[in-house]
Amino acid sequence: MSAMATETTRPETRRCETTWTSERGTLAQSATMAARSLASIRHAPAQLVDFFMIPLMILLSITFFMGGQMMGSWQDFLQYAGPTIIAMGLFFAVTATGLGLYGDIKEGVFDRLTAMPVSRFALLAGRVAADMVKYAWALLVVGGVAFAIGYRADGGVLGTAAAAGVLLLFLFAASWSMALVGLTAKSEEQIQTWMISLLMPLAYTSTIFVEIDTLPGAVQWWAEINPLTALADSMRVFLDGGDPGGEVLALLGWCAALVAVFVPLSLRAYRRKLGD
Amino acid sequence: MRYAIEVRGLKKSFGEVHALSGVDLAAAPGTVLGVLGPNGAGKTTAVRVMSTLTKPDAGTARVLGLDVVAQAAEVRKRIGLTGQYAGLDPNLSGEQNLVLVARLLGASRRQAKTRANELIERFDLAHAATRAVGKYSGGMRRRLDLAASIVRRPEVLFLDEPTTGLDPQSRNGLWEVVRDLVAAGTTVLLTTQYLEEADQLADTIAVIDTGRVIASGTSSQLKQAVGGQVLRLTPARPDAVEQIVQLAEWAAGAQARAQDGAVTVPVAHAGEAQAVMARIGQAGVDLAGFGLHEPTLDEVFLQLTGHRTNTTEKEPAA
Repeated sequence: MSAMATETTRPETRRCETTWTSERGTLAQSATMAARSLASIRHAPAQLVDFFMIPLMILLSITFFMGGQMMGSWQDFLQYAGPTIIAMGLFFAVTATGLGLYGDIKEGVFDRLTAMPVSRFALLAGRVAADMVKYAWALLVVGGVAFAIGYRADGGVLGTAAAAGVLLLFLFAASWSMALVGLTAKSEEQIQTWMISLLMPLAYTSTIFVEIDTLPGAVQWWAEINPLTALADSMRVFLDGGDPGGEVLALLGWCAALVAVFVPLSLRAYRRKLGD
Repeated sequence: MRYAIEVRGLKKSFGEVHALSGVDLAAAPGTVLGVLGPNGAGKTTAVRVMSTLTKPDAGTARVLGLDVVAQAAEVRKRIGLTGQYAGLDPNLSGEQNLVLVARLLGASRRQAKTRANELIERFDLAHAATRAVGKYSGGMRRRLDLAASIVRRPEVLFLDEPTTGLDPQSRNGLWEVVRDLVAAGTTVLLTTQYLEEADQLADTIAVIDTGRVIASGTSSQLKQAVGGQVLRLTPARPDAVEQIVQLAEWAAGAQARAQDGAVTVPVAHAGEAQAVMARIGQAGVDLAGFGLHEPTLDEVFLQLTGHRTNTTEKEPAA
């Protein structure tokens, strides 16, 4: 020790020994990270409104201003496309996962966490899990508004719950693709650009708004396999009280594929971002 | 284990920029190694490599005998890091930040809360414990940042410019904490731009410039190498600056420098300063003022780089 430290006596010196040493599992760490993402709502509760504003405005403006033109009356349009337009609004909202991770890395808090014995997967999964809570909240609010303005599901409560379930499952899988975007983007503007240039064409070449045979012939083959077609068709099957079939299998396949591809890619991008 | 931190031939480039061009560092267990250098010298990159955040292009870094690349997971269990930019979540309160770190390290909810409150008390943040960190002052943020890196007492603690931008009182408080940690057995590596800070805290100092260690040793060894103090001479007439530079260099046997109408020259001791003054007096040059002071980092650098052949042959820090 240096002479300096031995000269000054510090009777109040307390060892900051700690007794816990066991590492918690990846899932527990993910839950801690998710709780951390959600804790900020306490300091800024206005965020609760932000989460549902975009999907709500998309639902209301398309239904009221374009629905009559597209289907004769906005009520008919709401009945046909209301739930899938909610799905599209929430699908656009997954950009938040990318923006959130981008911000986490910029803030420097991830530097500390990365130098700690914390699973890399937990750092990313915590963000995705927290975003799922936000999407579920937004779905509840916007779904409630759709019900209030007259939407009714023939499938009843069970069918509605199943439709909400497949939508959330798909948002979970799609969030991982946005995680990759957030981890590789150079700026927030770039993430927004990705959203517009990738998500929007995806939505408009699916059965979210229209039936496949109304689309130009050249994009029909794509609309058939578009994951949003699988999502929209699956939701309609459940909401209409029909028997689920190929469309649900296609959706499950898409979700599995998205997770299988984008979880490893996101982890790799994360290691590169902070490890190089 | 002879060294708690041992770095050999570390190289790292970012495209065309060579952040590290062969850095060697060593710190014995329970000591403070000060890494002294200006902005852009490579200090932060070196810390990021040693704390497992960045992979080196070449060379090795061992922390507690563990290789930071091959055994990164083991290293992370035993180190603490306070980066140059606060590693805190601005949307969480001070307490929530500390609880988050403790929970991730395996503490139960209650243990985490207890430990967080202990640290908040110790770092004098009780008045702001529940406020969002985004609203903290720079000094408070720095204190909380340090607290977060010792939630579980690290065996090796990396501090990257911990006091940059702090007022003297906060700075002294941080120094106290570092001394306490070292007294409890922690090895500390601290980067700084301030000679005084390295002087106050470090057992050994490595001076780093453009990605290389240009000198290392104890504080007194370095001061001897650069001349103990600096003599500053202000001529009565500005056009005498050049003449004073020549006279001072001749009398002190060291490189003098003219800046802002004054001349600075390193001197080993007061007698040498007297000799310089006497020589200037003999030459009949009038002075408006003069003074002796501790060398600044700038002056240390001028000396070290100006006398490179003398300093690069010094033994590495042991």
